[in-house]
Amino acid sequence: MANSRQHESNAAFEARLRKRITTLILFCTAVLVAVIFGFPMYFMGISAFKAESEILATPFRWLPETFVGFEHYARAFELAPIGQWYLNSVFAAALQVSVAIFVGAMAGYGFAKFRFRGKRILFALILSIMAVPFQILLIPLFVLVRQFGWDDSYAGLIMPGIISAFGVFMMRQFAFAIPDELLDAARIDGAGEFRIFLLIALPLLAPAAASLAIILFLFSWNNFLWPLVVARDRALLTLPVGMTQFSQPYRGEPIVGPSMAVSTLATLPVALLFLFFQRYFIEGMMVSGIKG
Amino acid sequence: MINRLLLRDVSVIRRRQYWGLVFVLPAVVFFAVFFLYPLVIGFGLSLTDFTLLRPPVWVGLDNYIDLLSDRLFLKSINVTLGFVFGSTVPTWILSLLAALLFYQKFPGREGLKLLFFSPLLPSVAVVSVIWVVLLHPSGILTDIVGPLVGKSSITWLHDLTLSPIVIVVARIWSVIPFYMLIWLAGLTAIPQELRDAALVDGANRRQSFLRVELPLLRPTAVFVMAVSTIAAFQGFTLQFIIAPNQGGPVDVNTTLGVVIWKYGFQFYRMGDAAAVSVVLFAFIMIVTSVQLKLGSSDRFSLQ
Repeated sequence: MANSRQHESNAAFEARLRKRITTLILFCTAVLVAVIFGFPMYFMGISAFKAESEILATPFRWLPETFVGFEHYARAFELAPIGQWYLNSVFAAALQVSVAIFVGAMAGYGFAKFRFRGKRILFALILSIMAVPFQILLIPLFVLVRQFGWDDSYAGLIMPGIISAFGVFMMRQFAFAIPDELLDAARIDGAGEFRIFLLIALPLLAPAAASLAIILFLFSWNNFLWPLVVARDRALLTLPVGMTQFSQPYRGEPIVGPSMAVSTLATLPVALLFLFFQRYFIEGMMVSGIKG
Repeated sequence: MINRLLLRDVSVIRRRQYWGLVFVLPAVVFFAVFFLYPLVIGFGLSLTDFTLLRPPVWVGLDNYIDLLSDRLFLKSINVTLGFVFGSTVPTWILSLLAALLFYQKFPGREGLKLLFFSPLLPSVAVVSVIWVVLLHPSGILTDIVGPLVGKSSITWLHDLTLSPIVIVVARIWSVIPFYMLIWLAGLTAIPQELRDAALVDGANRRQSFLRVELPLLRPTAVFVMAVSTIAAFQGFTLQFIIAPNQGGPVDVNTTLGVVIWKYGFQFYRMGDAAAVSVVLFAFIMIVTSVQLKLGSSDRFSLQ
């Protein structure tokens, strides 16, 4: 009897030990994976505070030996109109996100809550837009924007992306949840259709639009190809396009520090969004397939 | 009387339905101008010799015929396919493994996951600029790999064999956390009872994974493969920024996207660039249709 109990607790002990070891292995693997994937971003952030000679030093220094403060940031602002580029990116993103949300809400509401002739084919158009990659449209869109006389202007930079098909699609999904009774009640009270949209539908759609807004912001903030071809004036560049000028030495002077500083500045708004709205951020990324 | 009332109601409702059209109109007009019209003139341009400098002249299929003997274009197809296969297959496997790892329970999981997610934050331009520094001939990657091969300086980006490989590595690094999220959502959607049932029936953890979970992950797998393949076909920014001379050295990183940019905005050969776009479109449509086919015939599903 005692013997068998002894046996049992031995077995239990072994099982526990095995579980501990498994957990330990999992933990160590996860640390390794997390360090590998986290390293480049750490490298970016910390290199902006190292002396230029130290950034590429062997072995890698996890912390700067000579802390240079915001010297590289200041140098970056000397070398290029970073402030202007930052403003351009913010301006484009603000305009594109707000218009895409508003017009997207209108169209999504129209598609979800009304029946009208041609609805199916118009919605099929919206869906097909999401299936066509932007690179296919690059050349003809550029030719078109040039015809409008918009090349090398804010209009050319912003207009082609000011309404998002994905935004219409998402808003339609959200608009299905608006109860018809609410809309009908307002109609009986004599409210006009546009008033109903503005005062009832839009406020109901707003919270659902949080993850959409984050995604539209990322689309705009990270956009590279279109600003690259449409903006030639240096003052019109956006941050992603402008910062590539930092990937080469400047007149023989290595500018790795400033380039890491600019990279950090470009990533900062996204990092803040991620920290504060992690759930919406991840949700939005997954439904849009943005990273691809 | 009742009849007339009803009729009036119907007409009110019908009139109201026109409001739907009013609401969708701004978006529809916009997409007609900035999507449908460019799509059509894109095909049209590919049949002309338009160069921005003089008005387009109709050349029929000449641009396409020229492409068949165009060395840069033919090379770019190889480069693109290499980039697609090189980056997608490891991405599928590694992102699934990462999802399986972070699906397990262990202390510190949430914090480590956050660190693992950090490549979600930078734009491709930022990713490129950082990797240019990591791939410096005496940079950190040389510090790690150099001692193994007995070199103190490796010219990663100017080497014809190494540079496409390291660009694939940068790509994989930057997208794995995203696909891991998709896999993780797929894993989380599998009811725990199914795993338990398999275990009760005498399956071990591995069998339960291979026979129960993996078949149920099939829609996720199709999604991950399709999205990553379509995205890789459009590979442009990494090659444009990281590779020397936009797609170099000697064009080993010149993808179809880079060719479109070069023909369009370096040589102003808009007709040729439009023709390359149409070819790229065809490639992507093939992938999309394969995806639809694989995704629809679902033998294993929870529904």
